[in-house]
Order: sequence, then structure tokens, then C-alpha cells
Amino acid sequence: MRTFQRVAVLGFGTMGGGIAQVVAASGRDVVVLETGQERIDLGVAAVRDFLDGGIRRGKATEADRDAVLARITGTTDVADLAGVDLVVEAVTERREVKAELLGRVATVVGEDAVLTTNTSALSVTDLAAALPRPERMAGLHFFNPAPLMAVVEVVRALQTDADVITDLVAFVEDIGKSPVEVKDRPGFLVNRLLMPYLNDVVQEYDDELASAEDIDVAIQLGLGYKLGPLALLDLIGIDVHRHATESAYAATLDPQFAPPPLLAQMVAAGYLGAKSGRGFRVGTEEQGEAR
Amino acid sequence: MTPNQLTVAVLGAGTMGAGIAVVAARAGHRTVLRDVSDEAVHRGLDNAGGFLRKSASLGKLTPEQADAALANLTGSTDLSDVAPADVVVEAVFEDLELKRALFAELDDVVSRDTLFHTNTSTLSVTAIAAGSRHPERVVGTHYCNPAQLMKLVEVAEGRHTASEATKRSLEFLHGVGKTTVITKDRPGFILNRFLIPWENNCIRALEAGLGTVESIDRAVLGALRHPMGPFQLLDVVGLDVHKAVSMRLYEQLREPRFAPPPLVDRMIAAGDLGRKTGRGFYTYDSTRSFGA
Repeated sequence: MRTFQRVAVLGFGTMGGGIAQVVAASGRDVVVLETGQERIDLGVAAVRDFLDGGIRRGKATEADRDAVLARITGTTDVADLAGVDLVVEAVTERREVKAELLGRVATVVGEDAVLTTNTSALSVTDLAAALPRPERMAGLHFFNPAPLMAVVEVVRALQTDADVITDLVAFVEDIGKSPVEVKDRPGFLVNRLLMPYLNDVVQEYDDELASAEDIDVAIQLGLGYKLGPLALLDLIGIDVHRHATESAYAATLDPQFAPPPLLAQMVAAGYLGAKSGRGFRVGTEEQGEAR
Repeated sequence: MTPNQLTVAVLGAGTMGAGIAVVAARAGHRTVLRDVSDEAVHRGLDNAGGFLRKSASLGKLTPEQADAALANLTGSTDLSDVAPADVVVEAVFEDLELKRALFAELDDVVSRDTLFHTNTSTLSVTAIAAGSRHPERVVGTHYCNPAQLMKLVEVAEGRHTASEATKRSLEFLHGVGKTTVITKDRPGFILNRFLIPWENNCIRALEAGLGTVESIDRAVLGALRHPMGPFQLLDVVGLDVHKAVSMRLYEQLREPRFAPPPLVDRMIAAGDLGRKTGRGFYTYDSTRSFGA
């Protein structure tokens, strides 16, 4: 049984930083690979901000924060990954970028190191196929924000060894998350269910079933969801959702994954959701109280 | 006595009708709960009264408020007792002919100004309104179950609904403490339009072996933070009800995503309808309904 005491995270963006924080909080040492020192500094600052928020809300102490930060090291040199026994890749959602990086990392880490990807839109089987010893590759799909979301999907590629899955499931439990074993299908489990629902909402909104606010209010009050679907899309990013559902559509030709045309138009107009200041709900006149 | 006290008639004393009667009576309106049999009326009044008394014992209402609401509430099997109603809320079985016939009959009983509200969840407001000689007074008002606790009402106009009728209906609904959303007269309005394909997709994922009942619920609870997993919710709703709603939407939209997957039929055949039969996707020790 591998317990993965030394972990490498590839990429110090929102997901990479969140994953590094969760792993470090479990007492493990984490080395995060990035392309430049500025990006490492930004990543560390974001983790620090998140932990400071926890201190303000009385959920953690300054000692907790410092201990977590002390276990996270940034590097721009792949050679510093030698000796890690688990790699979690969390770089940009592009196949060539991920495949090239995983290939380089595979030559540095030991033969027995387990390689995982945090992809949500690409095939783990396909990424594994480009590696020597693909049977040690799996998916480890965290949700955003990683420190808060309870579930991690453990994705079994066609090539993945059964004991790799067993060890990853135990690892996910050990870092305080709830593992869900899933097949390597487009969208795995959660996004496989979520994307058709969001596409449905976008199309009906475009077809003027109701205002964006009324759709969200109905879902929040009627079904008790924390966020309405259009506010959720603003948070995910219109471009991110569009890319994910387009990938699922390309892989399945299943019309429920086909991106509604409004998504492409919003991306073209620069309406990407919260991050651009304009989306379905963000930055529109429609915000405000429910009637 | 409240200044804007109206007379409200609720047709159908089932779960939804009794819940809506609580809403109206609690807001200070004279409320008549009408059904076709004494037994149904008594059961509805018992449920409504029980809820109001429990609300008082839980401190949600003062004893005076509960007494006043109870005093506002009467029952009847006689349609002529609906005559003084300012607002009629139809909450009978989800059957188009039944609803149309009821509105046709009511035309001769109530005044021209009486508003007709239909609590349909999946039928066309326009089609129901066509039962009345005055479809301009008919408004779709879809309450959520349990109506006495859930704030949301989906409001939909039929093709001939007068905007004045909608305006008065919104005032009435806000007056009884509801939050309204405006939607089109399309199958499933907002909630069921999105919930039904979602639930059916979750069932198909289970059929396809993408997860287990437990792992799919856990994934949805943990990753999307819904208040209930899809299978927990289906057990509460009832597999028979889910199938009926799915089929009515499928018949209108003719889209396969609304059709109930085969597992639903298997579960119904086996008598595994959910909480109410003690077994659905999960097994249960007790059956419970109309909780406070």
C-alpha cells in the first residue's frame, strides 16, 4: 500500500493551489511545478489568502496556516520532482500541454510513482497512452474550490492497475475527502450529469422561458440548490463550461452535450462570467432581490 | 379581521390542496376547502388543522394566530359554497378533462371577477383555461410541495390570460407570503422542465454502471452541494409520481430525455415506490408525510 507522502502538483493556478493546500494540510510535503517564479508567488499568495480567510472565520489558527505553507515548495525545475511518489497534474486544459508535461515528469519521478491528472474534460485513457507504464496513470478530479468541496472523483483509465485505484481511494480518504470511483467517460460522473442540465437551462433562457433571475430563484427556492444554474455558470466561467461540453460532445456526439449557440456568442462578446464582470447574472440589470 | 381579507376556495383536499388552504387561512383569508367526498374534505381539514396546531406548538405561530387560521378554515363538498370566492385555487388530480370540467362548472357558480388559479405542474394552462368561458381570468400558479412550507410559486399565463388577472394574482400570492417567478406556459414550467431530465439522466447513469445509488448521491451532494442526492429525492417524490410527471412531459415535448428510463418501470412493478412503501432506491423504517 502506497501512502504517497511526497506529492508533486503540476501547475499553481486555482486548482493546483487548492490541491496543494489540501495535500499539505494532511501533513504531506508538496512540491508545485510552475513555469516562472511570479506564478509561484501568486499561487502561494492565493493559498495564504485562503488560509487567512479561515483564520478570520475562526476555523484555523495562524500556526495551522504556517504549517501548511511550510510544507508547500514551488519550483520551476522538473528535476526537483525526483523522489515524489504521486504526481497530480493541474495545468491548462489542453491535451498537448498536459501530455508533453506528463511525459517529461515521467522520466524524472521513479518508475513506481503514480501519475494522475485533474482534467475534467479530457480522456485519462488517452493521456495515459502517451506515457511509459500507462498502468500507473489515473484521474484525480478535484472540484473547485478544492479545499471546500468534499468529493474527489478517482478515474479509472482503461490501462489503470487495480491497486493504483485502491491506493488513490485510500489517499483521497486520508486527505479528508470523499472518493468516488468512476469510469473514464466524458465528464466522468458529476460533469456528465451537470453539463446537460446547464445546457438545457442556457437554451431555455435563450428561448425566453423566464428571466435569468427567475430561473435561478425558481431552482434555489424550489429545489434548495445553493446556487441557481446561471449564477453557477458565471462562477464556472462561460468559456470553461463551453470547452467542457464541447469536448464531451466531440467525444460522444450526444446532443445533450452540444453547446447551445448562446455560449459561443457570450464567449465572443467577452461575457465569461464572474472573471470578466459580465455573464448571465453578473453585471446585468437583472440582479437584485427576488420579487 | 385583516383589511384585505378575501374569500379563497381551494378545490381538491389532497396534499397540495390542504397545503394551499393552510397558506390562505394563515394569511387571514376566509378559506373553503372543497372536495367531492366528506371523507376527503375531513382528511384535508385534519391535515391542515394538524399542521397549524403543530406550527403553534413549535412556536412558528402564536396560539392566537393558529386559532385565527383554524377559524378561517372550513370544508365543503358543495360547489355552491365556493360562490363567494374571490380566488379559486384548483388543486385536483392532474387530469386535463377533470380540471377543464371543473372550471366550466365554476363559471356558473362564481362572479365574473373571481380569479381562477390552476396548480397544475405539467399540464398546459391554456388548455385548462379553455374549459372556462372566461379564459382571461385563469392563471397558472404552481406551488411546490409542501405548499405550506415552500415559498416558491411559478406563475404562468395562458394564451388568453388578461394581464390584469396576472397582476391581481401576483398581489394575492405576495400577500400570502409567496415568492413568485414568471414563466411561460410551456411543459414543466421552470422546475420540472429542468428537474425531470436531470433525474432521468441520473437514473440512466445508474443503469449504465457509472456509479451506484450511494456513490451518485454522494458525488452530487459533495460536488454540487444539492440538499438531497437524486435518488434520495426520487424516493421522497415517489417513483410512480416521477413516472407520471415524466410521461406527461414526454408526451408534450416528444423528447426522449423526458421519458422515464426502464428501471423506473421495474421498480414500480416491484412495488418499490420510495419512502411511502418503505423501499425505493433505499430502504426505510418508517413512512411519513405532511410533516410540519
